[in-house]
Amino acid sequence: MSVDAATLAFLLVGIAAFLAGALALLSREIVHTVIYIGGFFASLGVVYFLLSAPFLGLLQLAVYAGAVTILLMFAVMVIKRRIFAREAVLGIKAPTFILALLVGAVLLDLAQRVPAYASAPACPASDPYCVSLLAQNLFLDNGGWLLLLGFVMLSALAGAVHLAREWRTPAVRKIRED
Amino acid sequence: MTTIPLVDLLSLSGALFALGLFGVLTRRNFILILISVEVIMNAAILNFVAFSLFSPGPAAGGIPGQSIAVILIGLAATEVAVGLAIVLALNRLRGTLNVAEAIQLKL
Amino acid sequence: MIVPISAYLPEALALAGALLTFLMDAAGVRQRSVVGGFSVLFYSLALLSVLGDLSVVPFTLFATVPSSLLSAGAVGPIQFTPLGLLWQAILLSAALLVAFASLSEAEGDREVPIFYGLLALATLGMLLVTLSADLIFLLLSVEITGISTYVLVAYARKDPRALEASMKFYLIGALSTAISFFGASLIYGAYGSTALARLADIPPGGNGTQMALVGLGLLMVGLGFKVTAVPFHMWAVDVYDGAPDHVSAFLAAGSKKMGIFAMIVVFVAAEDVVYTASSAWALYVALGGLALVTMTVGNILALQQRTMKRMLAYSSISQAGYLLIGLAVASPAGLAGATIQAVAHVLMKGGAFLFVAAMATLGIGSRIEDYRGLGHSHPVTTASFAVLLLSLAGIPLTLGFVGKFYLFASAVEKPGLFVVLAIAGLLNSAASVFYYARVLRIMYMVEPPAEATSERRWTPAVAHLADPGNDPSAPPSSAPSAAVAVGESTPRAPAKEAARSLDPITPLSRSNLGMRLRDEVRTIGIARWTAIVLCAALTIILGIYPTPLIDLANHAANSFFSGLP
Repeated sequence: MSVDAATLAFLLVGIAAFLAGALALLSREIVHTVIYIGGFFASLGVVYFLLSAPFLGLLQLAVYAGAVTILLMFAVMVIKRRIFAREAVLGIKAPTFILALLVGAVLLDLAQRVPAYASAPACPASDPYCVSLLAQNLFLDNGGWLLLLGFVMLSALAGAVHLAREWRTPAVRKIRED
Repeated sequence: MTTIPLVDLLSLSGALFALGLFGVLTRRNFILILISVEVIMNAAILNFVAFSLFSPGPAAGGIPGQSIAVILIGLAATEVAVGLAIVLALNRLRGTLNVAEAIQLKL
Repeated sequence: MIVPISAYLPEALALAGALLTFLMDAAGVRQRSVVGGFSVLFYSLALLSVLGDLSVVPFTLFATVPSSLLSAGAVGPIQFTPLGLLWQAILLSAALLVAFASLSEAEGDREVPIFYGLLALATLGMLLVTLSADLIFLLLSVEITGISTYVLVAYARKDPRALEASMKFYLIGALSTAISFFGASLIYGAYGSTALARLADIPPGGNGTQMALVGLGLLMVGLGFKVTAVPFHMWAVDVYDGAPDHVSAFLAAGSKKMGIFAMIVVFVAAEDVVYTASSAWALYVALGGLALVTMTVGNILALQQRTMKRMLAYSSISQAGYLLIGLAVASPAGLAGATIQAVAHVLMKGGAFLFVAAMATLGIGSRIEDYRGLGHSHPVTTASFAVLLLSLAGIPLTLGFVGKFYLFASAVEKPGLFVVLAIAGLLNSAASVFYYARVLRIMYMVEPPAEATSERRWTPAVAHLADPGNDPSAPPSSAPSAAVAVGESTPRAPAKEAARSLDPITPLSRSNLGMRLRDEVRTIGIARWTAIVLCAALTIILGIYPTPLIDLANHAANSFFSGLP
């Protein structure tokens, strides 16, 4: 069976993504973890480009590989006094490993049995990457989802602002001194 | 149009799900658990994109999958921001304490 | 069918409540009576509107959902059903209860607006869940409540233990969201659509059934975290224990019910119709097993608890198990039973956690032994709490009994092995009587040493600090909890409450019942006192005369099933 260029590229990027994810979760230095996870997000962005969903690819690169990675790095820097401190022992226990393997096996098996779906129709010539179709779907047909995402973001904003707000009362200082 | 087979896409997302699950169950550090959860979330997003290209739905059936993927990317970023705010609040309260150690969680 | 915009009145009120609260915060209006008063007003209007839609109250000025809409099925991602409206009323009353009782909390924090604002946003999410006709819509609504409650647990910011609870809650919540969305992606793959109505069909395209089943299984895990079903319950007790008492009440009474409703709309259709021929047993066994394990483990662990809040948290887990029976049976009777039990659960758990909150402000410790003799010093509230405990145990003449009776009866009715669930439920109810009765015995039978009582009442902060090891079963993860005790007593026994308790008149020295009652109301706070007593009263009234509620639940459950293809 011949493998065309897109599939080959996908295989390479997919393996790279998995390896980056695995390295991120197995690495003992948390800064390395964040760097690897940035690579993981970026390679998934490339996968979306290969799937001819460039809008999603860009979004993945901007939001995940960009914003989320920086946010995580920021958290690491704030929390750890010495940011290159090693984490304690990596506790891999047999039961968890077996459970993860089992779940992975079930899902891989499921992938093999996937029904023979027809591939989606090609995007119209005037809109080669279906971006305007996507926009129409996102904003008109399924505007409800976007509205809900707005509510989620509203509560996140209110909560995060509250938690991060400057706050000094005698009670805090007392606790700190203790 | 894509020529990448659906089986490969689903295999990748399944493997990523298992990887994320493994991370959640083994790591004990807040940031690392959060990253594992993000790996699972990315597997879900990849699934939605994959099924938007191959699915039994109606003719325009592919597009909602991509809409969902867009929404999920936004949702995940929002969630990470809230998590960071919680950690920062704890960090401030604890002062010099090393939060990463204080929050070793027993899941 | 176009949904008139006025049909969204309850959701609009919740959202408006949240926005108004944030505006008040910005404008510097932070009095609890003002901010909370508006919240209570908005929830009351919303509840009135929903009850009008259900034609429970004759007052239909705010009834905004046209009856044609109730039978119209899904309109896009939205669906108005009698069952959804009934659960909307249940969830709204949980929010109203907590918002109202919180009026008695200590005055004047900077945290007041954010508490009510996030409560309103969480309520908005819960209301949207009941309208969902689309899986993604449903999960996003769940997420609104999720994000709001993560922060709500830590809203006071002074208590490191609450922040830790919030962090744990957050991690578990994020994990459950991710797993749920992965399951939803498989369902999308199997059906090519995320409409919940599609779950009642066999997936098209040959062997999509397996994919749909795996997807449903992952959704069960994801939503199982939300309803604290047993293999996924480990976060619940620490979070309920660490959270401020009123937030615990909201989590137990409100957001857990939301999870149950989400499970109902996802699974009951799939169970009842779809896989009847082929693989239905998998779903039935999974849900039935979940119910069985949840109630048993919850009860066994509740038996061993020595602090009141942890005991209530574990009993809340076992209550979730009873509710899951209704899901596992998946018949109209089971659904009606689950609905009745949900009403009971809001009243029982809401009232019980509020009672714990009231006792904490009086400076009474968190151990069960600290509740010694309360029946003599605080007769009315303790009697209400006793009623709520009896209802939790399922003693006749209470609403808890009615709910359990319907749930177990539905399990017996259904042919097959479902009778096992009923038997297990009965055994569990019997076992649970032990730990509820222990609390009752401590509150009533044991006479308090007069010295100790007055001392406890007069120096609340000290009493709170005196038992640092009050929680032997706390996991080592909350290692700094001993240090935390200092921080803990600060928000819970504010200066004003302490001043009240320092009042030189000892209530025990009074023989006059009226005076004692007035004193009780004054120390606990009129709003909280009313809320607790109201919960107990409704538990009794609906327990003795449950007919209207049963009719309503039956009608809603039947219409849910007749709406299925």
